[in-house]
Amino acid sequence: MRGLNKYFSIAKASLEVIFVYRAGFAFNMIGTVFYVVAMFYLWQTIFLGKPGALGGFTWPEMKAYLIVAFILNSTMTWFDEWQMGADIREGRVATDLARPIDFQLKRFAEATGPVPFELVSALGIGAVVAVVFGGIALPADPVHLALFIVSAALATLLKFAIIYCVSMVAFWTTGMEGVSNGRMAVQNIFSGALIPLVFFPDWLRGFASVLPFQGMISTPALTYLGAMDGPTTAFMIGTQAVWVVGLMLFGRLLWRSAIKAVTINGG
Amino acid sequence: MAARLRRARWLVYIYFRCLGQQMKAILAYEADFVILMISAGLVQITGLLFIWTVFLRIPDINGWTFWQVVMMYSLIFITEGVGSLFFEGTWRVSRLVYNGNFDQMLLRPVSPIVQVLAADVGFNGLGNIVTGGVLMLIALGNVQVQWTPGRLLMLVILIISAATIRVAINLATSASAFWIRTPWSMVPMFVHQLGEFAKYPITIYSMAVQAVVVVAIPFAFVSFFPTAYLFNIESWSAIGLLTPLVAVYCMFMAVWIFQVGLRRYESTGH
Repeated sequence: MRGLNKYFSIAKASLEVIFVYRAGFAFNMIGTVFYVVAMFYLWQTIFLGKPGALGGFTWPEMKAYLIVAFILNSTMTWFDEWQMGADIREGRVATDLARPIDFQLKRFAEATGPVPFELVSALGIGAVVAVVFGGIALPADPVHLALFIVSAALATLLKFAIIYCVSMVAFWTTGMEGVSNGRMAVQNIFSGALIPLVFFPDWLRGFASVLPFQGMISTPALTYLGAMDGPTTAFMIGTQAVWVVGLMLFGRLLWRSAIKAVTINGG
Repeated sequence: MAARLRRARWLVYIYFRCLGQQMKAILAYEADFVILMISAGLVQITGLLFIWTVFLRIPDINGWTFWQVVMMYSLIFITEGVGSLFFEGTWRVSRLVYNGNFDQMLLRPVSPIVQVLAADVGFNGLGNIVTGGVLMLIALGNVQVQWTPGRLLMLVILIISAATIRVAINLATSASAFWIRTPWSMVPMFVHQLGEFAKYPITIYSMAVQAVVVVAIPFAFVSFFPTAYLFNIESWSAIGLLTPLVAVYCMFMAVWIFQVGLRRYESTGH
């Protein structure tokens, strides 16, 4: 337990950074709300023009889906490929290599530190948007809610694992802007962040189902709504867990080969 | 008059020389360049995939068909591309002011605005322009339009005007750095996010949102009104004709705001 104390301190420091830049953080948050609001209006128009369910979703369920997606997308926003690129370019990674800490755990602590704050902000904003648009569907029974919390936690771990793996590219190329944007584009469409995956034609849905991204939004959101039957829910949450473990290990493997390729610029 | 014209030509020359230097700096990292182009394409393809999936279920959004919405998308991509490729420098102002490096720009005998515009190159813009252009051609091929030389000319004018509005919004918001000091482009990013509303026909929004994107920060003139004009959609098409005027107005306001900011600029020191 004593060994974990240092990681806890790193997480705390990372949260404090957000408090220093709170104005910037607030602006970023409000900025992402525009996207959600635009989506709400779009789907509202679609549902008004076509009463009843669409792709198995009623309008209150769709609203809930959009809000859950927004909240899940609002965590770990300060952890991305850019930082890894900057650390390597500016030589800070040399200090990390010299420290008696596990690099992946350190990154994880940095990424999770701000999560409680991000979560509270996103829940607040999400609640306002939900009320303005006339309320959202709530989980039908407490079991769905409990499973949703498990699935949402796994989704956050998965997000970390994926970004950590992708950020290893920084050891081979310096500009991370393209890498980060590309990852975000693929993630947005295949996680179900833009549109529930059931709306896809079969070939695209099949493609999404073999990728890890669905565990980031689709699985927790559908669990919240209770849209899947018991065995399916168990299977989907299990799939999330398998991807988390697999990608965490893969990230460690990448790191080991990456530090052999590292060129340290000063520092 | 002749002297002013000469000065303007000289400024354009300086602008392209500065931009050329930035391009060389970026092309030195060949892999980054390739990755940026590919990622720009990916962002667009996924955006299009979304709107295509929506239209699999419904025939139209408030009377707007798939290809009409694609036309709006293409205008957003192209204008964003022009902004990144030629005027990415506006995104650097916050950092320049914050670090005290803006002083350099004031010491040189060239308009700071020209220097700011040429201060960076975003090669992802090239990817945006190419894929946006292809999308626009496909969209135009799929919508019945009576093409006359006048309408074709208007298409070119509308694209230029839409890009001008975007760049003007970026320039005006980048001037916020003279009032609020942050190491990153906080206000410009915030306003940029409002552009999300330009992706769909504005008739889907409430009056308040419409007022913002038509009057306050005229993103509606980047995509909605030009498309409405080209495809003769309802009464909106007449407003589309105003796009070039809105562009001139936006540029004028942006330069004015930037100059007011310059006058109150205080160096953070070096």
